[in-house]
Amino acid sequence: MLDLAFWAPVMVGGLLAGGSSGLLSVYIVGMRIPFLGVCVAHAALAGAVFGALAGLDGPMLLLPALAGAVVTALALGLADPRKVHMDANIVMGLLFSMTMGLAFLGLGLFATLGRSDNDVRSLLWGSLTYCRWPDVWLMLGAASALGLFVLALAKEMRAILFSRTDAQAVGIHATGVWTGFLVLTALLMTVNFQTVGGLMIYSLITNPAAAAFQLARGTRQATALAIAFGAASGLGGFLLAAALDLPTGAVIVLLSAVFVLLAALVRRARDCFGPSGSPRARHR
Amino acid sequence: MNDTAIHLENLAVRTGRRTILAADALRIGRGEMVGLLGPNGAGKSTLLRCLLGMQGGVQGMLSVLGERVDRLGSGNLARLRRRIGYVPQLLPTAGEMPLTVREVVAIGRTGLAGLLRPLGRQDWRIIDEWIGRLGLAPLAGRGFGQISGGEQRKTLIARAMAQQPELLLLDEPTANLDLGWRERMVATIHELYNASGLTVVLVCHELEVLPPGCDRVVLLDAGRLVADGPPEAVLSAERVAALYGPGLGLMRSGGRWAVVPAQPALTGETPHA
Repeated sequence: MLDLAFWAPVMVGGLLAGGSSGLLSVYIVGMRIPFLGVCVAHAALAGAVFGALAGLDGPMLLLPALAGAVVTALALGLADPRKVHMDANIVMGLLFSMTMGLAFLGLGLFATLGRSDNDVRSLLWGSLTYCRWPDVWLMLGAASALGLFVLALAKEMRAILFSRTDAQAVGIHATGVWTGFLVLTALLMTVNFQTVGGLMIYSLITNPAAAAFQLARGTRQATALAIAFGAASGLGGFLLAAALDLPTGAVIVLLSAVFVLLAALVRRARDCFGPSGSPRARHR
Repeated sequence: MNDTAIHLENLAVRTGRRTILAADALRIGRGEMVGLLGPNGAGKSTLLRCLLGMQGGVQGMLSVLGERVDRLGSGNLARLRRRIGYVPQLLPTAGEMPLTVREVVAIGRTGLAGLLRPLGRQDWRIIDEWIGRLGLAPLAGRGFGQISGGEQRKTLIARAMAQQPELLLLDEPTANLDLGWRERMVATIHELYNASGLTVVLVCHELEVLPPGCDRVVLLDAGRLVADGPPEAVLSAERVAALYGPGLGLMRSGGRWAVVPAQPALTGETPHA
């Protein structure tokens, strides 16, 4: 029997992390930028490392971690791929390598100075099992900010999802909107990394949308399905892991991948036997 | 209202030390349809990006719909772009994208509606009107990635027209289309121009794409404007050979132009050589 007083924040945390990552996944998969996750993670790590070296510790380390992630998001958003003559993924790769280099440089300094880097490592590689109510409120705040942003700018985000260049060409302030989205994404991911860990977040920023895009028609349906798949992976994975006494993060990741496989099978069956099962409908 | 849609003087586009476009002067009146022709790399798409204010390294005077593009800040540039319909040469890679055809056409109204305001009933009426006029109604609920290349191009034309633009920029609208779709696209552009009377700049490197209503042609080669005038005056076998290489001739039929091999034995016809 679960001790609800202890496990309730864990379950709500799983639901929130899954749902909010599911929302993010629509844009990350739709715009083919899966590198964003590792890029933000290492930027946050670099921020936390240098924050710790400056004397910060405990929950205060979240501040330099957020600063690192937000600065990187700003750089990503403001770097217009046409002006820098680089694909967005290449810009991400460049920033990822720079922030990773900075993070490891900082970690090396801990050894040189004879100090422990445990605080920094635990900040970014948390575990859902240790999620408490204050963590949940933080996640809820970050997820709400992103959710409200996407809701308020739904039509602009839809245009950017189609093509950032085309969005600019029809008179949308695409750079501003995209940069705002990336900054909120960086905030949300850093909070989620700290609470539930990187392994789970990396899978939940791709798998829910990968499953949803198999079944959905239109961005609204795709977004709703991706949030549902993400939340179901987060909560369902935890419950399955608790029932079978298995590691939580791993079960959540595997469950989200199973949803992709099931969605692909449903899509195939629908294309073959459904009313719109024409050869063209099957062609993507 | 100023009767000039596009006016440029001493326009130059540089990337590093290289000049990729240098145009002394060009004036396009409102309501004109102009074919911008030239081989690959001539600077046609660069010129279109200049007109949209989306090209870096631009020097010189450039006025579009009465606005000095070279002097506009980002806010005014965005407002100008809402008056210009643009159909890009490259289609977005739509494999994973969940957008439906109707949602893609709706992008044309997004800038006009303004930030934080959802599309209104009037916007959706215009969107559905253009979906219907371009024969896309049966596909409106389908994913953009699930329709053919020709249907995708029509969707982008519907998107541009849903903006109710004063100027329509078409960048190789028949690229990668088969002969049937190419002809349908030419007919669509012809009908749109006749029905709306808006200014159209059509970029292409195939003369076959010029619709019959196109009464002015601007030729570009290696980043320079080399000729400008009515097709009959500008298009000659010598110019075509100079632009595209030797062994080519010109044919004209029903107000349309075509480049053909100059050897009659290959075509069975006698081109103007």
